[in-house]
Amino acid sequence: MLRFAIQRGVAALLVAITVSVATFILLNFSTDPAQTIAGEEADQAVVEAIRHEYGFDRPIIVQYGDWLGGVLSGDFGESYFWHQPVAKLIAKHAPVTIKLAFSAIMVTLIIAIPLGVAAALRPNSIIDRFALTVAVSAQAVPNFWLGVMMIILFAVMIPIFPVSGDETWLHFVLPAFVLGTSSVPAVMRLTRTGLLDVMSSDYIRTARAKGFRGTPLIMHHALRNAMLPIVSVIAVQLGSKLGGSVITEAVFALNGLGRLAIESIFGADIPTVQMLVFIFALTFVFLTFISDVLNAWVDPRIRLG
Amino acid sequence: MRFARSIVYALIVATSALSLSIAPDALAAKSDDTLVVGTTRGVATVDRLYSVKREGLILSRLTDDGLFMVDPETLDYVPLAAKSYQYQDDVTLDITLRDGIKFHDGSPFGADDVVYTYNWMLDENQKTSRGTVIQRWLKSVQKLDEKTVRFNLKFDYPLVFRDMAITVMLRKKGTYDTEEGIKASSFGVNGIGPYRVVEFEPGKDVILERFADYYADSPKGRPAIKYIKFRVIPDIGTQQAELMSGGIQFLYGVPIDIAENIGRTGRANYLTGGDVTVAFMILDAAGYTAKNNPFTKLEVRRAFNYAINREAIVKNITRGASVVLNTPCHPLQFGCSQDVTKYEYNPAKAKELLAEAGYPNGFEFDLWAYREKPVAEAIMGDLAKIGVTAKMRYVKSTALGKARKSRETQVIFAAWGAGGTADAAMTLNNHFSLDSDRDFTGDAEVSQLVADAEKVRDKKVRAELYQKALTRITDQAYWVPIFGFSQNYLTSKDLNFAPPKDGLPRLYQASWR
Repeated sequence: MLRFAIQRGVAALLVAITVSVATFILLNFSTDPAQTIAGEEADQAVVEAIRHEYGFDRPIIVQYGDWLGGVLSGDFGESYFWHQPVAKLIAKHAPVTIKLAFSAIMVTLIIAIPLGVAAALRPNSIIDRFALTVAVSAQAVPNFWLGVMMIILFAVMIPIFPVSGDETWLHFVLPAFVLGTSSVPAVMRLTRTGLLDVMSSDYIRTARAKGFRGTPLIMHHALRNAMLPIVSVIAVQLGSKLGGSVITEAVFALNGLGRLAIESIFGADIPTVQMLVFIFALTFVFLTFISDVLNAWVDPRIRLG
Repeated sequence: MRFARSIVYALIVATSALSLSIAPDALAAKSDDTLVVGTTRGVATVDRLYSVKREGLILSRLTDDGLFMVDPETLDYVPLAAKSYQYQDDVTLDITLRDGIKFHDGSPFGADDVVYTYNWMLDENQKTSRGTVIQRWLKSVQKLDEKTVRFNLKFDYPLVFRDMAITVMLRKKGTYDTEEGIKASSFGVNGIGPYRVVEFEPGKDVILERFADYYADSPKGRPAIKYIKFRVIPDIGTQQAELMSGGIQFLYGVPIDIAENIGRTGRANYLTGGDVTVAFMILDAAGYTAKNNPFTKLEVRRAFNYAINREAIVKNITRGASVVLNTPCHPLQFGCSQDVTKYEYNPAKAKELLAEAGYPNGFEFDLWAYREKPVAEAIMGDLAKIGVTAKMRYVKSTALGKARKSRETQVIFAAWGAGGTADAAMTLNNHFSLDSDRDFTGDAEVSQLVADAEKVRDKKVRAELYQKALTRITDQAYWVPIFGFSQNYLTSKDLNFAPPKDGLPRLYQASWR
């Protein structure tokens, strides 16, 4: 088990480093950071002065090496655009994204688990078909569209919630709903199929024979076992929420890591973008790693594969 | 059933309670004397000396005053913190300051502060991108007495008041000398403008308050609105929703379709005004991308000028206050004579010229663009009518900048805002000087004319130089000028705001109805 965990850990780290190299190269080749920092209409002399000052005229491998060396020694560098330490910037914006991600996961669980359970208990019934329709719809509707619709409906026409911002918990209701619904199909389907599998297993038949019925049977016997793969999926979904909140944050004007990433990309703020991509990749990789290990622990056959 | 009904009642009560708790706050802008402005991007610094973004320029008109300012009516440069000026000779300019000016921290403003600010800009180590602009023409600054400052120029520079109005905002002596140095500029600014910064964190909202001690004789006048808040809302749809629900009262740079549609709802005012920003195509006449490329031929360049239906573009796409351009500068700009060769829409003539140039069946080329995609597409359509196939390479402006620098761009569809300056110099020097990577003419004569026009103050002489330059540029059809931009605004019904001619909103002039 330990060997398996180490192998997965090393692979995960390699993925994170590859992502950071690719980002660094793409950022440097697709744009002229000196021109971006100077502004579109800056004189050429200004652009050249910035190029030299920030070291953009050095070979790209040297620039990457400098950045990686800094990260390994705990120095995340200074933002070109915001003129602040990158670590401070990330620390300032992270709480909003974490709050949004956890709220979104709560929305996912609140919608997906009861729907999945209901669908599994009455397969091919109207409830099952309704649950599958919800899942398909949630999967088909893009976040930005749903976000705008939610704003029009619940912030402009019926002003229940604020249109945008992140000052109070009310500001998180609509974005959490929008972000959370995108994970409903995966969790709902897994709950449904997991529960269907478990319900047809021998130990459930035994439990029924012993007289267990209804909620106690579902909650204490069936759902508990069906939940293991769901937990690992939720871990991955949480990672995707943390890293993928960019659009939702933009639509609802939440000042989290997603918005920081967008503004930093537009500002060619390479140290900030690099660190954000690295953190997003690490988070995702870490959560995937945890879910792999969990699965391997539950099902030893995975270790052999 | 009873349970379900209870849930519904509970939801209705909760909804009503929430509505009551949120709605008053959203609609409180006029009642609490706060004008909320929606911006798309976060502001990294409120210090204009370290900001290159348009938001920074709009903000600095509120928090800062320079020695001069742009008169919104005439677009001329008039004294602001300066009371008067006197040229001792072509390169010696004495400026007398107004009395009673205070910084936002309450300290008095004087000659020492002006000398400090300009010396800071002259210091090559100060890392402000504005510095290189000043260093070009300014040799030194000296204090003559408490209210008089002498500027020693390197040459007779006609745009000196422009730079004093737009580029250099005045700072208190010692502002950047603290341990934190220029980093302090990321957290606030101690200006002398009509508003002071009361709350700011990079990337977040900026809150300004009317400066109680603002000097009474300022040409800007005393602002009517007490607070101005800049709110960052990246998504334009969300901006509209906030405007319609009363969360914000002012939007600028709104796409025309959206501005017109929202205006029609009656929930906001749609206003349109001028802008000195121009849109154009740059053709590689010099042959930098390839020596024998089609655009090295005059007939092809003229054919392109005849082929683009600019009237139709302005009428159908850009609309608002946009105008058809015949020159590579805006008619509002000084020196931008309209007495030049004009090319009316004439596709038949364009085809004729193409045949003369040896392209009877047209040719194919890459059209680089980074903004105004519908216009770029209309251009492609017009060119297709004369048999020329434009393959669009729509990229980010920085990617285009990189390609342009490495001379890969045969034709660029671009725009230029000239820093909101009503002087042709700010467009021509960046595009027709042989020292600039934006120049694709390779024309030494034009380059010299443009350079000469920047070294003489006499307006008549300058106008003549620009006339010659523009005559040659349009004769040679180096560019295809397309249109001058419209600046579109959406404002709350409660707000009085007059759209400016140059596209730079002066929010200190806004008031409540």
